[in-house]
Amino acid sequence: MRPIGRFRSSVAIASIVLVVSACSNSSSSPAASAAAPSAAAPSAAAPSAEASASAAASQAAGASAEPTPITGASCAANATEVKFWTSHTPPDSDALKHIVEAFNTANPDICVKMTTVPGAETDVAKLLTSIRGGVAPDVYMADRFTVPQRAAEGVLDQLPDGTINAADYEPFAYAETQFQGKTYAIPFDTDARALWFNKDLLQAAGCDLTKFDMSKGAATIADVTACADKVNKKDSSGNYDIMGWMPGGPGAGGNAGAFDQGWHYTWGFDYGGKFADLSACKVTPTDPGVVAGYQFLYDWAKAHDPQAVSRWVTTNLPPNPPAAQNPFWTGKLGMTISGDWRISEQAKYAPQGHYGFTFIPVPKAGDPTSTWAGGWSMALIPNSKAKDQAIKFMKFIAGTEGQTTYTKESTHLPTLLALQKDASLFDPAHKQFLDLLPTAKSRPPLAVGAAYWDALTSAMGSVELNTKQPMDALKEVETAVQPQLDSVGC
Amino acid sequence: MAVTPAAVGSVGTVRPARRRRFRRLGTLERRNLMWGLLFISPWLFGFIFFGIFPIIYTFYLSLTRYSGIRAPVFIGITNYQRMFADPLFWKATYNTLYYTLLAVPVGVVIAMVLALAMNRKVREVAVYRAVYYLPSILPVFVISFIFVVMLNPGYGIVNQALTALHLPSPNWLGDPAYTKIALVLIAQLGAGQFALVFLAGLRGVPQELYEASEIDGASTWQKFRSITIPFMTPIILYDLIIGLSFGLQVFTSAYILTGGGRTAAGADNSLLTYVFYLYKQAFQFGQMGYAAAMSVALFVISVALAAAVFRWARGWVFYAGEEA
Repeated sequence: MRPIGRFRSSVAIASIVLVVSACSNSSSSPAASAAAPSAAAPSAAAPSAEASASAAASQAAGASAEPTPITGASCAANATEVKFWTSHTPPDSDALKHIVEAFNTANPDICVKMTTVPGAETDVAKLLTSIRGGVAPDVYMADRFTVPQRAAEGVLDQLPDGTINAADYEPFAYAETQFQGKTYAIPFDTDARALWFNKDLLQAAGCDLTKFDMSKGAATIADVTACADKVNKKDSSGNYDIMGWMPGGPGAGGNAGAFDQGWHYTWGFDYGGKFADLSACKVTPTDPGVVAGYQFLYDWAKAHDPQAVSRWVTTNLPPNPPAAQNPFWTGKLGMTISGDWRISEQAKYAPQGHYGFTFIPVPKAGDPTSTWAGGWSMALIPNSKAKDQAIKFMKFIAGTEGQTTYTKESTHLPTLLALQKDASLFDPAHKQFLDLLPTAKSRPPLAVGAAYWDALTSAMGSVELNTKQPMDALKEVETAVQPQLDSVGC
Repeated sequence: MAVTPAAVGSVGTVRPARRRRFRRLGTLERRNLMWGLLFISPWLFGFIFFGIFPIIYTFYLSLTRYSGIRAPVFIGITNYQRMFADPLFWKATYNTLYYTLLAVPVGVVIAMVLALAMNRKVREVAVYRAVYYLPSILPVFVISFIFVVMLNPGYGIVNQALTALHLPSPNWLGDPAYTKIALVLIAQLGAGQFALVFLAGLRGVPQELYEASEIDGASTWQKFRSITIPFMTPIILYDLIIGLSFGLQVFTSAYILTGGGRTAAGADNSLLTYVFYLYKQAFQFGQMGYAAAMSVALFVISVALAAAVFRWARGWVFYAGEEA
């Protein structure tokens, strides 16, 4: 080759290298980023799991080192700073903000700075990386059923003995904050699930609403499905336009899981199943009741064409949907399994509509009603520089003052037994959810809680799309999760 | 510092420059070498601490159980045994390979088409080049967010266009058969980067060959197939290797399309790519050791695939300027 040609090609290669390195949007060299699960890349690229406009705005500001807190602007200069992170978004985070501000006013020597960070029930990547990076918060709002797993991983700090009294709290809520006999979080709120329905849609389709009367007990699944099928409406291309109900999923964006709250736990409990045997330290996804719950989801999907259902979901509920556009409020969905937070949502997003709720339907007439309760908690992060102040704040927000405010504003339920007896906190609708609590079940507090939930969700996804039989999918869950549980223990 | 390889079997006693030890170098060369190293030392330190050290640490972590917070606990090859028995690992591998084998050839074709378009001798070619290149400067997560809206089966612009053309309009995100194709579509918006590289290659093709072939009566397709493509084969190989490397690490678009990977990874786990599963294991389940084992496995797979591509390339890559 002529010398000038070689020069030209070397210039070309040099400019190629410059362009590729300048424009490449993954980190450093392929080998390095393949081999190192670097914390920086995922957390830099990952936005909030439930991004609403305000969370996105605060994230835009916080995309660099520290997220911007939304409280603590008017603190005294020499106040001890306590950093509090939550993954909740409005309207729930507004209620939290009021509690934090009340605490700051009452305790001028402590300044609690609350920040909304990306995260979800089982995704605490931001918290993990911040702990490793030494910029962790002092208090984190953790989904309660994941507390044992996070405690086992070392993400949460043990609370001093005697911080809280077991007798004050709802028993299952207290149990979820324990790991190997020590307390790792303070229970905050709880909730319950029911079958919500759009009265206008159901009446227009000719459903018998007396079956949904709570005083008559729970309706049967067959009745509810029959009513829902009357509400189903297809458009000219044969795709679902309005759906009567969505007992399971797929979830938002066509992902595996529940569309609303019709989770694996919901239907497994409804069919009388048990998900774990705590005394034997075993997960029991192949329990007959659990399999029956999954079988119901499989059969329902089959009867309604899994792809058509999935298409309706991805059309009406894309990934990260805004709460106001939920198909239940826009008149595209007749019934849904959902929680008590819908009460405050309805006031905001569909005040003109006529909605009601009743027990989750049962397999056979006369079966006991079933629901399950979840909820969140306040947890202490290790190596906190303001440990005593952080615990003081946790006892406030998860104590009487905090839970009172949160119950009234967010229409979740309190975990303090004394507050559950306080009638002034509950309007009549909310009271009915409170009445579900005594018979509500809860998720087993396992050290692999988050992993178990994800495995069950994955199985649920296959069953919803009819790509696997329930028993096969659930056997895989057992094979995946039991070894992890064995290595950590109960 | 020119490194001239000695001719094989030469009679002379000239030793190849690269084999000479440091102390055998002359003073001038030694000084030049030290200055050179000094100038690249910032990059060298960065590479060692942020490149080499994490790689070695990852190899070590793959033999431990580690949540990221407490000290790692040595458990030998348990992570690897668990990995091979894990159905989701195989699913993630299948998803990633499916995506890579689809996205990379398609990417090469589109980059070539774009480069040919950018190479046209029209007056406004600078405008066209900018327009074709612009989509690739958008970060992947921005494109993914936009595609989530565009791929909505009912209201999305893609399906509306398909319906208007009387083509089937699939359920992009809900149908496991189409989710990875959605990923491939998103990746093609980055074709502008490679198109630039292809453009540089196109400019390097000697014009005399085209003129000679026109005299012989070659058609456009024959010119393309017999002149352009052979000269472009090194660039195509480069695109294949880089595309393979990026394809095996696809994460951002899958993560965004599934709404942030809270629990699910697409319909029936069809968007669970390898690095996505690795991320879930590391950060959602606290299994850093297992994730490290997956990294090591990915490294091995990548090296094997790259070596295979290089071996295969010997058969069809033509380096102009080498002896035949």
